[in-house]
Amino acid sequence: MIGLSSYLVFFVCVVLALSLLTLGLNLQWGSTGLFNAGVAGFYAIGGYTHAILTAAPAPQYLGNFGLPWIVGVVGAMAVTALAALLIGLLTIRLRGDFLAIATFGIAILIQLVTLNLEPLTGGSQGLTRIAKPMSSVFSDPLSYNLFYLGLMAVVVGGVYLALERILASPWGRVLRAIREDETAAVALGKSAIRFRLEAFVLGSTLMGLAGAMYVGFIGFVSPFDFLPILTFQVWAMLIVGGSGNNRGALLGTLVVWAIWAASGIFVSKVVPPAHAAQGAAVQVILIGLVLVLMLLFRPRGLIGERPMVSRHLGR
Amino acid sequence: MRSPMSRVIPRLAAGLAVAAGALLALPAHAQAPSCPVKVGGILPLTGSMAPITKKISQAAELGFEHINQGGGIKGCPVQFVLRDDQGQPTVGVDAAKYLVEVERVAAFTGTISSGVTGPIIAAVTAPSKVVQISCCSTASGFTDGRSGGYFFRTLPTSKTQAYATASEISRRGYKKIAVIYVNTDFGTDMLRFFRQAAGKLGTDIAAEVAYNDNQPSYRAEVTRALAAKPESLLLIGFPKDAVTIVREWLSLGGPNKVALNNSMRTMDFVNGVGARFVEDFFGMDNAQVAGPHVDAFNNAFQAKWGTDSKGPGVHTQYDAVMVLGLAMNIARDLTGPSIREAVRKVHTPGGTPVGTGPAEYKKALELIKAGKPIKYYGATGPVEFDVNGDVTGPALVWKITGGKIETDRIISIEDMQSLTKRVEN
Repeated sequence: MIGLSSYLVFFVCVVLALSLLTLGLNLQWGSTGLFNAGVAGFYAIGGYTHAILTAAPAPQYLGNFGLPWIVGVVGAMAVTALAALLIGLLTIRLRGDFLAIATFGIAILIQLVTLNLEPLTGGSQGLTRIAKPMSSVFSDPLSYNLFYLGLMAVVVGGVYLALERILASPWGRVLRAIREDETAAVALGKSAIRFRLEAFVLGSTLMGLAGAMYVGFIGFVSPFDFLPILTFQVWAMLIVGGSGNNRGALLGTLVVWAIWAASGIFVSKVVPPAHAAQGAAVQVILIGLVLVLMLLFRPRGLIGERPMVSRHLGR
Repeated sequence: MRSPMSRVIPRLAAGLAVAAGALLALPAHAQAPSCPVKVGGILPLTGSMAPITKKISQAAELGFEHINQGGGIKGCPVQFVLRDDQGQPTVGVDAAKYLVEVERVAAFTGTISSGVTGPIIAAVTAPSKVVQISCCSTASGFTDGRSGGYFFRTLPTSKTQAYATASEISRRGYKKIAVIYVNTDFGTDMLRFFRQAAGKLGTDIAAEVAYNDNQPSYRAEVTRALAAKPESLLLIGFPKDAVTIVREWLSLGGPNKVALNNSMRTMDFVNGVGARFVEDFFGMDNAQVAGPHVDAFNNAFQAKWGTDSKGPGVHTQYDAVMVLGLAMNIARDLTGPSIREAVRKVHTPGGTPVGTGPAEYKKALELIKAGKPIKYYGATGPVEFDVNGDVTGPALVWKITGGKIETDRIISIEDMQSLTKRVEN
């Protein structure tokens, strides 16, 4: 019983960290229509900035400043925002798939930098001894994870409420206008480029925050945490949950990650280890099948976007 | 605007806090060993590592079969719970947490990719104090104490190979060597240990050039290495890229004094470059210890799976499983700290030698019951962990003669140990 709760607490912590990625992507894609295929790259910038700022000092590394956890989190968001601003200034004029290709390339570039900038990132060895906030207060892993779960819930809850607020504001309406018809929005005097850039930077900053929260939870970071497959997992989460809806983003993260974990548990229960290799292949097929079925039966996601029409039209 | 979610979150938080309090208030009662004893496994059964993992998981399966045939663990049969990490860190960590918390495995074995093993150590093994033995993760940092001593591995790390390479290069009188190495944890570790040993043994390193794998050409890297006017080359990497690098090295006029690492001990490399160009190249490998315990494993593997046991990680995975089995029998109880202490007693100096297979395992159990020390000789030879949780092993020097790969000489464990002392003191 304790074991199961302990696992579930751990599981939910991972879901909450990933859900920050989905919320960030939802702001970019769901609200603004920006096709960001470089989620893993911004996640990596946040994760590594946090690790470099907070990891215990080690003589072979330039970073590892051993700063408090909160400095790492704020620093991660600041550095990711700056990086997103630079990348955004270069790429935001690209439409649709062109932006996707550019951001995909940039994410791979970032991953290769983390692999090769050894004095700072530890290269393929990764960085370890990353600050765990208040870890000295909690003696066993379960109570610590519960504490971190609370921390994570506060952060994700805060981000969710803030996103709901700004998307309901005039700023959010402009984003949706740009998504639906950029020319019309420009004709009404809105600078599409500026709004797109703002949404891009804000969404990416959330991805940086996700990196810091995840790395701070696990306590280890290496370039293998940021392979391109992660970007596609986050996209699957957003599309399954319901693009354009923040609650959909949260639910999609939970559902997709649960499918990932539960299919593994299911296969290990029913397939004897002698056939584990075949079982594992079935697991991958299961994941794909469930995702495809979901899209067939709920093409707008589990919770689709709420229809938004002017209240004057309804009369 | 207030959405339903904003009302749900405070309630959820309150509910969680209550649940947390209830959980913490429960008494932590000790778990009596109950049958069957579960042992976990995490391997990348799918993903880019899947082709080599098949035999590794078969070796693990064979190990557990031998343990069960030889008497199990503390009188209980053993149940092996194997999970796939898909080569993805988040998936691997989730699987490890599930094994430890829900399946309540007493210990587990895994995994292959260092990028997955690292977060498992940091997030599961060390905080939960569970013994983990890996067959295949080479990153040097894992055994620096970060795991609290709960992480072990049965493959000799790149240190053994790097020191042996430095000693052989110095013996052959190579001076001014250029090093071209693959930019992975394996390559950077090899370089670091080689640099340390070469400095002590009087070999100058003229250039150190990293390369990323799977490129169509390495002309830039080779040119950079040659710019330092080296007299010889040490190439650390994998066969496919090494073929390209050696060809470019020779065609750009690099000297044909070339040292290689273990991965190039394959005819793919010799034939890929062209046999007449690689005459007298030499390399290093972990010596495959011969002996009845090694043959017994090879034969059992062949009989069980109908295929030979050649391949990376197969022998080390079998030993990882057998060490777990023996250690859990030696341990006072099946808690992490007890098993951690017991792992070091699997190969006690002066103990009675035991080998591989169910009969030898049974013999070991009888010795353990009688309170006598044992000395395990596994599929990879004597499995004795050092203070860090690493094993050392004998090294083998091989060379290419007339288009064939031949064993040049063996550097025994004793010689390796004295070499290590010379380099590190």
